[in-house]
Amino acid sequence: MKGVIFNVLEELVIETSGMEAWNNILAATGYEGIYTSGDSYPDEELFALAAEICKVLNVDLATVIGIFGEYLFDQLDARHPVFVQQSSDLRSFLVSVDTVIHGEVLKLYQNPNLPRFSYRDEGDTLVMNYTSERKLCILAEGLIRGAAKRFNADVDISHPVCMHDGADHCQLNVRFK
Amino acid sequence: MSDDKKNPFEEAYHRERKTRRRAEQLLEDKSRMLHQRNQELEQINHQLLSQQASMLKQEKLATLGTLAAGVAHEINNPLAFVTSNISALDEYHSAYHSLYKLFKDIESDLMQDKQERLQTLVKQLDLEYLDSDLPHLMKQTLDGLDRVRKIVLSLRNFSRSQEGDRDFTNLNEGIESTLQLVQSELKHGIDVVLDLKELPKIYCNPSEINQVILNIVVNASHALKDRPNPTIKISTNADDKNVLITIEDNGIGMSAETLNNIFVPFYTTKPIGQGTGMGMAIAHKIISEHHGSIDVSSEINKGTCFSISLPQHEKSY
Repeated sequence: MKGVIFNVLEELVIETSGMEAWNNILAATGYEGIYTSGDSYPDEELFALAAEICKVLNVDLATVIGIFGEYLFDQLDARHPVFVQQSSDLRSFLVSVDTVIHGEVLKLYQNPNLPRFSYRDEGDTLVMNYTSERKLCILAEGLIRGAAKRFNADVDISHPVCMHDGADHCQLNVRFK
Repeated sequence: MSDDKKNPFEEAYHRERKTRRRAEQLLEDKSRMLHQRNQELEQINHQLLSQQASMLKQEKLATLGTLAAGVAHEINNPLAFVTSNISALDEYHSAYHSLYKLFKDIESDLMQDKQERLQTLVKQLDLEYLDSDLPHLMKQTLDGLDRVRKIVLSLRNFSRSQEGDRDFTNLNEGIESTLQLVQSELKHGIDVVLDLKELPKIYCNPSEINQVILNIVVNASHALKDRPNPTIKISTNADDKNVLITIEDNGIGMSAETLNNIFVPFYTTKPIGQGTGMGMAIAHKIISEHHGSIDVSSEINKGTCFSISLPQHEKSY
């Protein structure tokens, strides 16, 4: 997982619960907490930090990851505003994720282990098929919600097929109201 | 607590974090720029390698051209007197055959002892077989010499470097007249599709360009033998600078090795005696002398496409 994800997680915790809380989380997990945005770190480290956050905030993992997804979108947008700027609406932005945005990530980083998205247009619904060894579909959902807010788009997101239920991919249906 | 009472360490922390983000952003921008430059360099490197390969090929062909001129000259002189001598020998054999025939006619009129002496000699020397075999030997030798003559002629055509009879020419007319010439080759159900756009006249040697078209079309017709829906599509077009000719067939196609050697003199996939392997080498030479380019792409069992580009002369009209 890229360091930028850890950086944003740290910012979220500090913003909502203070620096001490982040220090305690690091102390509990035993990690140093030194993350550089361009470097890669073990996925397990992120999952352990998220689990510790759940304990501290007393909320379930899915809620933490969902909230983090929304927050992550804002932070990534602040760092790389060009991707949102070059999309006219939420639908075209979401469709550009797999080729344009991940394409740019591939230019900068070797083996970033990106998730794959495939798309199907069903009128008022954009069906996004998500595949990733990390199975972070909830994070993807949070990111989509963050993107919807950024584009002022009113959407319903459903998740009828999930890798956590044994499927080989997750299906995220983004219905535009 | 007023803003002035903020924890100085926290302020410093936020300041440092901003600094780090800017440094990381700078690194990312530089990485992106580096990636872009690297791609440009890779592209230029690819072009250079391709040009280098093309230059090596041109140099090889030029060396072969010089070699061909020398070989053609050296072979031509002995070939001339060998051909002349064989023709004379053919006539001498006619004289000998007349004498042998006379002997056979008057054999029975001779005295018995002379008749026996002559018959013994005919048997010893196997003159009857010699008389019947000589015409075959002479014909095969003359045929072989004719093949050598054609090869030498091809070599001379390949190696000659002269502007020749150039004139302002409409290539479409040349293509149509060339197709008339190869009607017999195209009889076996081959469909010829023409898509000839209006072209400016270009300054070229029309008979040489026609020869290029002819060589390609004849090769295409051979590649189309026993193929379903055999088709040769010839199209012409022009852009601001060049006149473009493409000749496409849906024949058997060529292997990578054949494609790589197609313009090399004497390279042929045809059986011995059925092709000199000079047709495409000459075509390449002619187009190069016209400052044009000839490219070929091919796929096994799909077909072959020749693309010829000839520059429009400044005086073109």
